[in-house]
Amino acid sequence: MTFRQFAFNNVKRNSRQYMSYFFSCMFSVAVFFIYAVIMFHPEIEGHEFRETVQRGIVAAEIIIFAFSFLFVMYSTGAFVKSRKKEYGLLMTLGISKGQLNRLLIIENTIIAIVSIVAGVLVGILFANLFIMGFSQILGLDGSLGFHIAPKAIFLTVIGYFIMFEVNSLFVVWTLRTNAVIDLFRGARASKRVPRFSWILSIIGLGLVVAAYYIAWTAELYNIFYRMLPILGLIVPGTYLLYTQFSVAFTNLLKKRKSLYFKQTNLLTISELSYKLKDHARLLFFVTILSAVAFTASGVLFGALKSAETEATAFVPQDMTLLSKGEENISQMDAEVQKVTDYLDQEKINYTTVNIERTQARFTEDGNERWLDIISFSDYKMLAGLNGTEVTKAPADDEIFIMLPNVVLPADTNFPESIEIRSENSQQQVAIKTTEAVLITNRHTSYSGVVSDQLYEKFASRAQANERYRTVVFSIDNWTEHAEAIVESMSKVDEEIISGRDASADFYLIMKNSLSHALFFGLFISVLFFLAAGSILYFKLYQDLDKDVAQYKALYRIGLTVKEMKKVATKQVAYLFFIPFSVAVIHASFAFKALQNMLQSSIILPSVSLISCYLLVYAIYFFFIRGLYISKMKQVM
Amino acid sequence: MSLLQATNISKVYGSKRGIEHKAIDNISLSIEKGEFVGVMGPSGSGKTTLLNMLSTIDRLSAGTLTINGEEITRLPKGKLAKFRRREMGFIFQDFNLLDTLTIAENIMLPLTLDGWKVKDMENKLAHVANQLSIDTILRNRSFEVSGGQMQRAAIARAIIHEPAIIFADEPTGNLDSKASRQVMEALAHLNREKEATTLMVSHDPFAASFCERILFIKDGKIFNQLNKGDNRQTFFQEILNVQSMLGGDNDDLQTVRV
Repeated sequence: MTFRQFAFNNVKRNSRQYMSYFFSCMFSVAVFFIYAVIMFHPEIEGHEFRETVQRGIVAAEIIIFAFSFLFVMYSTGAFVKSRKKEYGLLMTLGISKGQLNRLLIIENTIIAIVSIVAGVLVGILFANLFIMGFSQILGLDGSLGFHIAPKAIFLTVIGYFIMFEVNSLFVVWTLRTNAVIDLFRGARASKRVPRFSWILSIIGLGLVVAAYYIAWTAELYNIFYRMLPILGLIVPGTYLLYTQFSVAFTNLLKKRKSLYFKQTNLLTISELSYKLKDHARLLFFVTILSAVAFTASGVLFGALKSAETEATAFVPQDMTLLSKGEENISQMDAEVQKVTDYLDQEKINYTTVNIERTQARFTEDGNERWLDIISFSDYKMLAGLNGTEVTKAPADDEIFIMLPNVVLPADTNFPESIEIRSENSQQQVAIKTTEAVLITNRHTSYSGVVSDQLYEKFASRAQANERYRTVVFSIDNWTEHAEAIVESMSKVDEEIISGRDASADFYLIMKNSLSHALFFGLFISVLFFLAAGSILYFKLYQDLDKDVAQYKALYRIGLTVKEMKKVATKQVAYLFFIPFSVAVIHASFAFKALQNMLQSSIILPSVSLISCYLLVYAIYFFFIRGLYISKMKQVM
Repeated sequence: MSLLQATNISKVYGSKRGIEHKAIDNISLSIEKGEFVGVMGPSGSGKTTLLNMLSTIDRLSAGTLTINGEEITRLPKGKLAKFRRREMGFIFQDFNLLDTLTIAENIMLPLTLDGWKVKDMENKLAHVANQLSIDTILRNRSFEVSGGQMQRAAIARAIIHEPAIIFADEPTGNLDSKASRQVMEALAHLNREKEATTLMVSHDPFAASFCERILFIKDGKIFNQLNKGDNRQTFFQEILNVQSMLGGDNDDLQTVRV
């Protein structure tokens, strides 16, 4: 047996332990490779979306790679730790530090090569499927051809090989082998009584609660400033929750004797307090991974689902065309005709209404502000088109300023009363606010509703260029005809019709950009999620031998198989579902922050998304539990 | 009626090619209530297999086994575990204490599994801990105490639920001579005072000399039987004589001590 054979056999005979690790590595190599295939796809060069999509792919590649790096580092470290006793034995037999390092590096290199090769092969297998899905989502005519660029293979192989080697060097460097006895104790050292500090537990809880509070109260204008503090609080808070609070909590459980000494609870709770502490870092890692996955995909999915409502909120009428000044208004009918002709041709049903507006101004904090006014009867009719009923009419000395649905708080600080002036009229009015039924006139800062008499007073004496006309379209099923509507709008002369807005336009932009983001986001989220699962599996597998010995002893003193199943199921379930639940709670506060910014409810999309994850996770859980229990049954 | 009655029991390990190995060959034995029986024999003679069979951990290939009036051979697996939990106590060579539990919790484990009240468990615990003089280490973890203390804790766990019979598999195998003596004295004491029926497997003649009756096994059959007289010292010598007669592996023979 040469030294290299020895290393090779070590891997081969530890293959059970290496299996899940190997699969996770292979999976991330495959995903990385598939993205690389698209990135270097020759047919993608010519497309207009190349810039944005390619940027998305590059970002995804970097995230996957960085994540794989952390994952491999964690796993290799865990392996070395679990085999410390073996290294101790080798050192008593006289292996030198240099040889030990070489052994470790050879072993890691074998795994690296195998998982890279397997990953690329799996990637090639699924690349075509992925390319087809990719073309579908980007709405390309016909799929991109099946083509694997040599560059993609090259990048994957070289990148991952370097990463594995750097990681094994790092692990070798950090493996301290001062005294053989420390290595021998290595395996048992973790069984010390878990300690915790009340202060740190409370600090951890406090950090998480503070982060939740900040997220809960976030608004559109401050979310970007709050993002970093939230992260800065939640990450260390979660860490302390697992390392300190979990032990504190199980200790509290232990103090309640009637609960603790109730049948198998004794086994479950005492094992759990050790496992929670032992696995604190792992659970923390899994929680953060899952929380990122849930939040990213939930936010994207929620935003996508709410695109229609958002578009309606932002652009209250299905389509509005606006002209300013007598001269343009006189030519407006001809331009509107172009739009209606196109809509007729596309067989889209619609109705139109003409709304007259006139312009005025007022002074706010020494600044001149422009404002256009519409009569209350027009306002009432437009609101009727949106299906809302208006009951309160403005008095002759009142104005209702229409608030757009996306507001910054500064916009709502109006003085109580202002004097509005046009060239020929003026009037002192009290300000109130109301819901917007028209998108803000792009020539003025505000739109206001006044009583019909007051409107008549201004309109009848308005100068030619103070007049506006808006043609409002109500279109049946506008989401289905979104593209045609946008197309029809482009038919008009921009000089004559200066304001062209459609919900469909906003809707399409939002939908397209989000569906690209969702495509990448979901993929990375799923990767994170799978990684989280495989880390748990990997850990359970490592503890398996210890657990087998323990259940064997328990079986002899009369633990039934049924009771073993109960204890084992509970333990595996806690390891799986504690991080899952914490991640869901974390993500739901992120959803709440998103909800603060959106008009439509994202409860349904986020709940359905989390349920999907839960389903996958539950299947995974039952699979692992089955494996675990069948392993235990062998000794019982 | 005897407490444990085994009739013509055998254990056959078959191989795929049809070559069978009889680990236990048609043994019959009975143990009366309050007896302290030892099983000795050279390595590979089948003494641990016999213990596993009698303690229901291993299935019989043939024969019948009755413990405390219950015919074990007929019980399904789930019931068997419950039967072990109530009627049997186990002591192992490597103690088998759970290191996530304190000594006290380890000892109470069988009662906990059976759903006892906390107060009753604590009373029981105080009683057995006192008997085995391990009161002072109850709050410790298993790895914080010595081997002898661990084994006495394991004995406490084996007797806390007052089982009908205690099985001990090489209880002194991992202990030095001082700890061995303490553990064997504790077992003998329990046997005398509490009439705790005990079956012990050992290859250590010193440990075996605490028994009242010793069965010698060779090649899966009962070879000889010794009964203790008045003097443990003489009994010890007799054990040594039978051992050399058995002619097992030399390392089973130990130099005289005590």
